[in-house]
Amino acid sequence: MITVQNLQKHFKLNKQYRGAWGSVRTLFSREYEVVKAVDDISFEVARGELVGYLGPNGAGKSTTIKMLTGLLVPSGGELAVNGRLPWRDRQAYVARIGAVFGQRTTLWWDLPVIESLELLQHIYHVPNGRFRQNLADFETMLELKPFLNTPVRSLSLGQRMRADLCAALLHDPDLLFLDEPTIGLDVVAKERIRQFIRHVNRERGTTVLLTTHDLSDVQKLCDRVLIIDRGKLLYDGSLDALQTRFGGRRELVVDLAEPYSDVSVAGATVVARENGRVTYQFTREEIGASELIGRLSQRFRIQDLAVREPDIEATVRRIYEERLLEN
Amino acid sequence: MRVFWEMTKRSFQRYLTYRAAALAGLATNFFFGLLRMAILLALYGERPQVAGLTVADVITYSALSQALIGYLSIFGWYDLMNSVYTGEIGSDLLKPLGLMRFWLAQDVGRALVNFLLRGVLIMVAFELVVDLVYPQTAVSWLHVLCTLILGWLVSFGFRFLVNLASFWSPDARGMGRFAFLSATFFCGQLMPIRFFPDWLQGWLQFTPFPAMFNTTIEIYLGTLTGTAVYLALLNQLLWAIGLLLVGQWVLQTAVRRLVIQGG
Amino acid sequence: MNHALTIYWRLLGVQLRSQLQYRLAFFFDVVAMSSTIFLEFASLALVFQRFETLGGWTLGEVAFLYGLEELSFGIMDMVFSGFDPSYFGQEIRRGSFDQLLLRPLNLTMQVFGSKFVLRRLGKIGMGLAVFLYAQTLITVTWTPAKLLYLPFVVFGMVCFFGGLFIAGATITFWTVESIEVMNIFTYGGGYLIAHPMHIYQTWLRRLFTYVVPAIFLNYYPALYFLNKPDPFNFPAIAPFVAPLVGILALLASLAFWHFGIRFYQSTGN
Repeated sequence: MITVQNLQKHFKLNKQYRGAWGSVRTLFSREYEVVKAVDDISFEVARGELVGYLGPNGAGKSTTIKMLTGLLVPSGGELAVNGRLPWRDRQAYVARIGAVFGQRTTLWWDLPVIESLELLQHIYHVPNGRFRQNLADFETMLELKPFLNTPVRSLSLGQRMRADLCAALLHDPDLLFLDEPTIGLDVVAKERIRQFIRHVNRERGTTVLLTTHDLSDVQKLCDRVLIIDRGKLLYDGSLDALQTRFGGRRELVVDLAEPYSDVSVAGATVVARENGRVTYQFTREEIGASELIGRLSQRFRIQDLAVREPDIEATVRRIYEERLLEN
Repeated sequence: MRVFWEMTKRSFQRYLTYRAAALAGLATNFFFGLLRMAILLALYGERPQVAGLTVADVITYSALSQALIGYLSIFGWYDLMNSVYTGEIGSDLLKPLGLMRFWLAQDVGRALVNFLLRGVLIMVAFELVVDLVYPQTAVSWLHVLCTLILGWLVSFGFRFLVNLASFWSPDARGMGRFAFLSATFFCGQLMPIRFFPDWLQGWLQFTPFPAMFNTTIEIYLGTLTGTAVYLALLNQLLWAIGLLLVGQWVLQTAVRRLVIQGG
Repeated sequence: MNHALTIYWRLLGVQLRSQLQYRLAFFFDVVAMSSTIFLEFASLALVFQRFETLGGWTLGEVAFLYGLEELSFGIMDMVFSGFDPSYFGQEIRRGSFDQLLLRPLNLTMQVFGSKFVLRRLGKIGMGLAVFLYAQTLITVTWTPAKLLYLPFVVFGMVCFFGGLFIAGATITFWTVESIEVMNIFTYGGGYLIAHPMHIYQTWLRRLFTYVVPAIFLNYYPALYFLNKPDPFNFPAIAPFVAPLVGILALLASLAFWHFGIRFYQSTGN
């Protein structure tokens, strides 16, 4: 579906001068620096995949999405979607994709939702029957009914997002781009939107590329993630594998039935001890959870225990901050 | 008083940071000034003087009519209105200054920056291309200084009153646009009031509009002399005091209303 | 093309309905809009009794020129609202222009349909009123040819100033903020040609003859309508090139516009 090969986007930035005449100097200056927003990345996305696209701010995520949606022309490399070059034949290309940019709406501010949708029906040439059918489906799944006749400007953020999702899918696009679809929403609203995305991907076979800062979106939706930073593609694989590789130490919390003077055990370190409760840390490579529990239960009488997996959020933050993926 | 000057200083510095926007307007003001001059000169034709204004006078008038736009906020001022609509007015009410003095301090800063950046620079630009007239004696310059300050006070009093309408109506902006537009015409910014028919000049005497702009022009050009200058300054002073008093009274009513109804 | 046109009408419908939602506010906007023209013209008309002529032209003749220009500029300002540089610059900043790129429709048509400031009717109406007022002051010897040509003059000005709006909007692809100098050509140019061109300093008139050929848009047609001699001895065809000048300006701007879009797609915002 999507083929990206050695894709590059370089921007020339004019050198900025400061001070009163700075802007004038900037205007006439020929000095510039090249910023490699996207630097030689390659990946493929197959039909029907649901891929998460991650990276810290300014990593090159939105530049990639802009190239994929035809808003930006690459400065090098190859990029084809469905065999088409997105920017070459813009109108024909965008007719087959859908896009939701979380912060902006594609709907008309003063129009009731339903009229915006009808306008989009005409813009995308959606046949009447198909439009009714899709609208009926999305109406139920996204619970649009209560606000179909409300002007977009009076919608809550969550309602607007649902309306925008519906708008992006009315013309049955093969490929859906979602940029921060759950930003600023509460837990219930987020969950509803995730369910909907999953449904669209599974039942309609729509390929979805999702960029987000909310890792629980990715955890719950994507089998595969791409991580980009400083314009380079650093990782392409499952989130679990990433966790296994970089997920910090796991923790085992044990409530001991009797007071013991020495609670140490081979393969794990004691990081906290409070009354009868002891917290051990261990890594996947050194010892499995069941083995550790076995060792402990041989030596101590255990009342209760719990294994804490490291937080994926923390893992990814660590990957960004410590640049673990770069070699 | 110290608080007032502190506020003024801060406002001055704040507006100074917008200097790029102020300077950007220069070219347009300059261009319109040139067109105004051409129109007035074409009206004059062969006449050396009309209604007491010489050709050099109307050229200078055209320059001043552009130079003072920023200083007097002739095309409109909506800051107080905006603070009412955004609710910022609430925190302004808690400031150690009265609301009117708070905005007066803000406006001193705004007016000064506009006077220096736009007013003076435009006059310099015109000086390079046309022959302007200047007051001849130190005393005349002193008169000009007084009338400039008083004209600004009258304009502030008027703008403040117009803005207060926002306490009553959610759509005071449209009304304000209308009010400022009319003021542009009645204060003599579009044409010197001397050129208007006598009946209109008679009517305008009873309004504060000429005191905002036209009086300043007349004193600058020296068309008023002797005691007439002092009478004109007194007239400006009375309008300023009058408008500020009315403004204060309306403000108190508005605030009382705001406090009672909770906005 | 047909499809784009149908959508354009629908987008206009959206604009009109949202602007007419608040009838009273809309009414005040229209009144304020027409007052701007009214007061500006009145300030000129009121001093005429002291001066009698403006560079040899009577009040009626100036009103003819003035009304025709304001009428045309008003129409342009309404139809080309989407390209108004200060508005368009905002759309670029907000990223709304990207949303237009994501729709399978002609871009230029979408910008036309993205804004339609109906309250400009106030300006158009007042321009028309001043033009009609001119007819009460002077006797224009209307011939069928003149009447036929009149709409083309309006058309020429609409195209010309529309072209300036498009050029100004295109510049914001580079500058983001609309540049103030554009106002000199758009609003300044409008004000300039609302008055007889022979009153201006020679350099200014030459600038608006040879660099920006605005003199042919309104002044020369007016010379023809009012049977006035040409003070600058241009060829006799001069009064009739107004629509051509307008169309050429518009076409040049559209070419620049497409160049700007390509630049935008290579750099983004």
